[in-house]
Amino acid sequence: MTTNYKSVFDIIGPVMIGPSSSHTAGAVAIGQAARKVFQSTPREIVVHYFESFAQTHRGHGTDYAIVSGVLGFSPADARVPQAVTIARQQQIKVVFKEEKGKSPIGHPNTAVIQLKNAQKSIEIAGCSIGGGTIEIRRIKVGEFDIQPQGALPVLLALDDDRTDQLLLEQLEVLTGINYHHIYVADTGRQLAEFDLNKRLKQDEVRALNSTVAELIYL
Amino acid sequence: MFTSIEELVAAAVKQHVTLSDLMIEQEMQNTNSTKDEVWTAMERNLAVMADAVKKGASGEGVYSQTGLTGGEAVKLKKYRQSHHTLAGDTVLEAVQDAIATNEVNASMGVICATPTAGSSGTLPGVLFMLRKRLNLNHEQLVRFLFTAGAFGLIIANNAMIAGATGGCQAEVGSASAMAAAAAVEAAGGTPQQSAEALAMALSNLLGLVCDPVAGLVELPCVKRNAIGAGNALIAADMALAGLTNKIPADEVVAAMKKIGEDMPQTLRETGLGGLAATPTGIKMKMQIFGKSVDLGGV
Repeated sequence: MTTNYKSVFDIIGPVMIGPSSSHTAGAVAIGQAARKVFQSTPREIVVHYFESFAQTHRGHGTDYAIVSGVLGFSPADARVPQAVTIARQQQIKVVFKEEKGKSPIGHPNTAVIQLKNAQKSIEIAGCSIGGGTIEIRRIKVGEFDIQPQGALPVLLALDDDRTDQLLLEQLEVLTGINYHHIYVADTGRQLAEFDLNKRLKQDEVRALNSTVAELIYL
Repeated sequence: MFTSIEELVAAAVKQHVTLSDLMIEQEMQNTNSTKDEVWTAMERNLAVMADAVKKGASGEGVYSQTGLTGGEAVKLKKYRQSHHTLAGDTVLEAVQDAIATNEVNASMGVICATPTAGSSGTLPGVLFMLRKRLNLNHEQLVRFLFTAGAFGLIIANNAMIAGATGGCQAEVGSASAMAAAAAVEAAGGTPQQSAEALAMALSNLLGLVCDPVAGLVELPCVKRNAIGAGNALIAADMALAGLTNKIPADEVVAAMKKIGEDMPQTLRETGLGGLAATPTGIKMKMQIFGKSVDLGGV
């Protein structure tokens, strides 16, 4: 048994604009994850679709769903169906690519999203596993290229030196930790990945945020 | 977290509590929430479901942008008012609500995924019919959703609920199984009868493929929710009458997972097989998207 689905509201929910929980609501969630990693609104959005997503993204509204997430909309936001138009009105370049091959992360509902502006770019590979629940199985941010286990919630802490022990102790108490790993780049910067057992509350994220240089909570 | 239906049923029996109580308790623990927070969140979802059921059957109904689906919940409503129906008004009310919800979904309206958007009509179809049939109060309606969610969580974690990984059996099949189990509790049945209802409902829909025309959540998805709701009611009645599935619920869920894994990719939400690959299905896709259709597989 897996525990990708942790809450009754993963099953009875989400409340969303149709038509598909995996290809629309889940796609919004993947877009939101990309936005959280990028930490602002990008100037360019490139989406690569694989397998079922490549075949059916137009019919399911996956395009506007992913862009909605990148713009920071919720799945139930009435603007969701117009998101691509809204993005283009803001002079954001939006590109969708249907890839022929197998998913690089081994799931039929896969989207790889690249977000860019003049200063930076990030990439995430997410899959929508059903009912609006997603996994993020690859993240490229700054000098890091990591492959999380997939299931959310995941907390990423980027800093110049080691702060992971303090975070580790706090997270053990707040949520419990399913997995954690420290990546150290050639520059000496480090990224700590924590796969959490429970979701953090907003005030808890804010409190943790003050203890590290950069915190990404997916 | 409950890891099996057997464990969930055993806990309810041992602790003399309802399945919905167990689900509420688990949710409070897993999300560090109070009972009020959890309850209120579920009430909001219930309100969304009630709105969708109403919207889909009001006036001339709702229509999708493609025109492939819409207005049929209203047709059923009129038919119910003017005819002696064959299946009986109770069943057809559930069917009407199921179709209304999925028509709202296809028209890009607001729905609550239960467990998915494609299968979002099945549970409300059963729930709102039971409200009248069993005179359920507001609290019982909310409890129905927690019970359905408890079973759905186990199905989702032990098998799958996405058409792309398991076919429609994982979506409408799961929804129907959840609805059957919750209907039994609402009608005063035992936790074990809920498990039997789930096992029968899911067994009846094993192997159901996901073959949406043009990749749209319209044909055949909307009407598959009609059969999901009807099947749930029949399974719940069978369980309440004392019928058993013989194959335990957890083993049916495991069988669903294996069948999903064995299912060819053309029949797992790619729009490349089944009804999507019929001459009419292909014609519709070409009319909607205006280009030739590659059915060579992915």
